Amino acid sequence: MATRLDSTIEVTGQPAIEEHVVIFRLADEYYALDIQTVQEIVRMQAITSIPGSDFWVEGITNLRGRVVPVVDLRKRCGVDSGEYTAETRIVVVSSSTGMVGLIVDAVSEVMRIPGDQVEQPSAIVSVPENTYLRGIAKLEDRLVSLMDLDGVLPASAEGEFEYASAAAA
Amino acid sequence: MATTKGQRLQFDLDDDDLKLFCEEADEQIELLDASLVQLEGDPDPDLVQQIFRAAHTLKGSSATIGHKKMANLTHAMETVLDAVRQGRKSANAEMVDALLAGLDALRELAREVVTRVDSGIATAALEADLLATLEADDPDTQSLPSAPAGAGYQFSDASVQAALAEMGQGSSCYFVEVSISPDCQLPSIRCFQVLQELDALGTTLQTWPDRDVVEAGAGEFALTAALLSRQSDEQLQAAVEVVMDVGAVHVRSVPAEALGQPMTAHRVPAAAAAPGKAQLAVVESAAPGTDGGKAPKKAAAQSVRIDVERLDGLMNLVGELVIDRTRLQQIRDQLSAVLKDANLTELTENFEETTSHLARVTDELQEQIMRSRMLPVRSVLTRLPRLVRDVATKCGKKVELLTAGEETELDRSVIEEISDPLVHILRNAVDHGIETPEERRAAGKPETGTVTVTAWNQETYIYLSVKDDGKGIDTRTLRAKVVEKGLMSRDAAEAATEEQAIQWIFMAGLSTAKTISDVSGRGVGMDIVRTNIERLNGSIMLQSTPGKGSEVIIQLPLTLATTKALMVVANSTVYAIPLVSVTEALADHEADIHSVNGLKTLRLRQRLLPMIDLANALGDSRPRSIEAGRFVVAARHGERQVAFTVDRLLGEQDVVVKSLGDLVGNRKGLTGATILGDGSLGLIVDTASLVSEQAMLATA
Repeated sequence: MATRLDSTIEVTGQPAIEEHVVIFRLADEYYALDIQTVQEIVRMQAITSIPGSDFWVEGITNLRGRVVPVVDLRKRCGVDSGEYTAETRIVVVSSSTGMVGLIVDAVSEVMRIPGDQVEQPSAIVSVPENTYLRGIAKLEDRLVSLMDLDGVLPASAEGEFEYASAAAA
Repeated sequence: MATTKGQRLQFDLDDDDLKLFCEEADEQIELLDASLVQLEGDPDPDLVQQIFRAAHTLKGSSATIGHKKMANLTHAMETVLDAVRQGRKSANAEMVDALLAGLDALRELAREVVTRVDSGIATAALEADLLATLEADDPDTQSLPSAPAGAGYQFSDASVQAALAEMGQGSSCYFVEVSISPDCQLPSIRCFQVLQELDALGTTLQTWPDRDVVEAGAGEFALTAALLSRQSDEQLQAAVEVVMDVGAVHVRSVPAEALGQPMTAHRVPAAAAAPGKAQLAVVESAAPGTDGGKAPKKAAAQSVRIDVERLDGLMNLVGELVIDRTRLQQIRDQLSAVLKDANLTELTENFEETTSHLARVTDELQEQIMRSRMLPVRSVLTRLPRLVRDVATKCGKKVELLTAGEETELDRSVIEEISDPLVHILRNAVDHGIETPEERRAAGKPETGTVTVTAWNQETYIYLSVKDDGKGIDTRTLRAKVVEKGLMSRDAAEAATEEQAIQWIFMAGLSTAKTISDVSGRGVGMDIVRTNIERLNGSIMLQSTPGKGSEVIIQLPLTLATTKALMVVANSTVYAIPLVSVTEALADHEADIHSVNGLKTLRLRQRLLPMIDLANALGDSRPRSIEAGRFVVAARHGERQVAFTVDRLLGEQDVVVKSLGDLVGNRKGLTGATILGDGSLGLIVDTASLVSEQAMLATA
């Protein structure tokens, strides 16, 4: 795993290549998503929960006529769940499973991170399951985890579905 | 010949062209599929013409993309069909078999264009078989057709004189028609090149447009010429087809006695000649039986091909518009309450007027777009004659297929889904319904059985009926069968009425065929057909009279994009239960509820239905709301019925079906989501799977 990340960083993090990202907050941690994957950011809106779905799938929402599944990113990333506030946002991303909304506590900013400020996660945290982290950026005032969208969202619901129905039974 | 199977193939077309090529090829192949069978005997000349044109168009389009095998094969088919068309040969069973074999190969060859992998089909033998059916006539010394009468190209006296003089010397006179592909940038140059090719092969007597015009560079997308040449028509055709951007080429030899008469154009319409090129090909309305080859009198084309994705996109946009309209109406109501107080009646009225107009227009727009997705059911029915012929031949039966209502329109999505069930029912009708000729004679019926497929619209449903005049369903065999298979007790089987027994044909695990033939049977029976139909929110009925025959009637909604549903609330979530499966909805204080073995049971019309909480059945694990289970909705799937308890009934509504998205996947018990009037989402219940699962659990 570590070697794979090594090579990823080497390829994507070639000297002077910038990461153009959207930074958001989950509890007191900061995360970043590649701006290319972010379609739009909307305020918290009505979500219809789907019975029997995975605990981290909050439900579906109506995004101007489109039915978009919404994931509670706190639950997905194992951060303690909290109340929704006026700052809570849904970050709508386009992933390999289609459009998905991610509930985050706040969207802080859009910025460019120079490639030389990004390090592989294993250098800082030692959590092997953290497949959705593809790097950690050391900014002046804080650390920002670069999130790998395909790591956060499973390629399809099939595998998880078995698990969910087994748990329900 | 060394096999080339599996090799990579190259064709001369890009992705856009590919789509058009496939559409066109499918269309022509389907047409051949439907009509070749009718060629035998004494066919309608219009039909022969239509078949010939289909083969000709396929030849043109396959040659355009450089698919040699396909072009050669279609050429052989065309040669055979040409002989039939000109009355030199009448089609016998052998010829139709050879043509059908060719058609099967064509289908594979057309698929190669998509897969780009050689299917390993050898066309040489097929071509030989085709041409062998003509062997009495050598194509090169064929008797020549008399030129059709009517307005057309008139040979000048000088041309006729020159032609007559030369024709004795071993030359033939040819009438050559060439069309240039419509997106060619420089048609005049291509015309000139064609003219030069012709000059090299013989003496050009006359051209339309005039030689001067062509040489001056004013040629257009078509060139027609009278040519004296010693070459064969095939050689001429090949020489002209070499020129770039040439679409269709039609070469005809003209007999001496026809020289003085005007020639009628046989040219295929330019758009059809180059399917790979035209971006938005204008399609002739092509009513069956009309000869599109003659100059189209009805201004070509009241229709345009549209990408289905684009239509789906439009449909989605309109869906959004409908939702906005509903919201706007809600805002209007709130506003007018406020504005009335402020004494601004004029403003309120204007606003109300505008919103109601918008509502009307939106409804109309939705309706129109829905209509534009409709296709005549013909596209499904055209495949059936071939199928019936094949199955009948295998079973040693004589069957005539009649179809009616081909113009009945239904949504594209339904058409795609209905084909397989229909084919299955039709196979059953021929294989199990119609008797052998001997049996029929013995029963005093004509040897040839009849199967009638009819389609019609009624209200918001479409009906398809498959009716045969065979032996009907033998309920004695059925009764024995259900007992033998352990599906029912002997007493229950004997006690059932005839009507009830007939319906057992839809039971899972029951096949009445004595042997598992390769035609039907194989354990996949009418139960699967029914499940598929019910998945489409349709229903299926069966009637049968012993000795007289059976009729299967399928009822389907006009479109799958919307469905009529009963809206309910269960544990604060709104659910849509498709109305086709709802048998009753009532408040629990009106319901006749009993407790059986500790389970709540609803007694409804002499039946006991297990009562199941809808939210629980779907796996809703959230805490229950207080108003839980105050209403009962009885739903059915096949014979299975259950009673769902819900919190509230909201009434009937047309719902637009939307997918839950890949992340959520196909969740058991749900078919999708729908947008409600207030912009929030409701979930659509998959009654078929939920009812069978719950009914099974309850009896276990």
